[in-house]
Amino acid sequence: MLPLVDDETLVKVAEAFGSEEAVRIIDVLKEVDETTDDQIAAQTGIRLNFVRKILYKLYDHSLVALRRSRDQNTGWFIFHWRLQPDQLEGFILNQKRRVLEKLEIRLRYEENHDFYYCYTIGCKRIPFEEAMELVFRCPTCNKPLMHFDNGKIVNALTKKVEQLRKELGE
Amino acid sequence: MARRNDLEHKALHLIANTGNQGVLQSELWRNLDASSREGSRIAIKLENKGLVRRERELFSGRWTYRLYPKRQPASINSIVNCPCLMCPDDSRCGAWSTISPNDCEKLTEWILILVQRETNPSGET
Repeated sequence: MLPLVDDETLVKVAEAFGSEEAVRIIDVLKEVDETTDDQIAAQTGIRLNFVRKILYKLYDHSLVALRRSRDQNTGWFIFHWRLQPDQLEGFILNQKRRVLEKLEIRLRYEENHDFYYCYTIGCKRIPFEEAMELVFRCPTCNKPLMHFDNGKIVNALTKKVEQLRKELGE
Repeated sequence: MARRNDLEHKALHLIANTGNQGVLQSELWRNLDASSREGSRIAIKLENKGLVRRERELFSGRWTYRLYPKRQPASINSIVNCPCLMCPDDSRCGAWSTISPNDCEKLTEWILILVQRETNPSGET
């Protein structure tokens, strides 16, 4: 099946790999059929070892494919890289499933616990059971703990979980 | 055959990038450097595969087709800022693990941004 992915998504996925360099590497790869890491480094000005590091990261998620050939003169391996846009959709779906799993865990936790908070910036909310053991005193700043309404958090999480489920067709 | 497949890929990619606006068949072939005959054949093929929608349109006094992507392109927008995306601690993170979504500070920060957007929807996702 032909992949249906736009450039904007491609850039966002590259950004998710954590660097602006990944975006530049993907930019080069999407314009050519196949290219070597040397050529990518020359075109982007990114250091060769960093180019390889990012390419292997993309390779781990099957977003690029790799072909190896041997240099006739030096006997060294040459690595040829190719973008696999048909894997991008699968990658996005997998990431969404993974994120959904974590958000569902958090949502259950928020729904099943009552929280107490000292309302001091930098301090954490404490679940009721723990707050009781602490005699309702914040373990960080020692201020009294008061009930914290997490209704808005539950609401926002529920909406996000529903959105992801819908996008995943669950 | 290889050229045809390649053109199909490129055409679909271009159509996907136009989103809801669609693209005129004639414009598309100019961008692809293909002949109109080659182009309309590929458009029909993409339509038969259920990947694009063709709608007749009168343009400069001539009937042509505007092509729209039928499926929405895969989008990562809903999770793009979520810290769980590409989190290096993912394999060690679970409900009962030392690292857990329940008390992950990065996740909490992100959820609070969601809450803020809920209360003040002017800041879009």
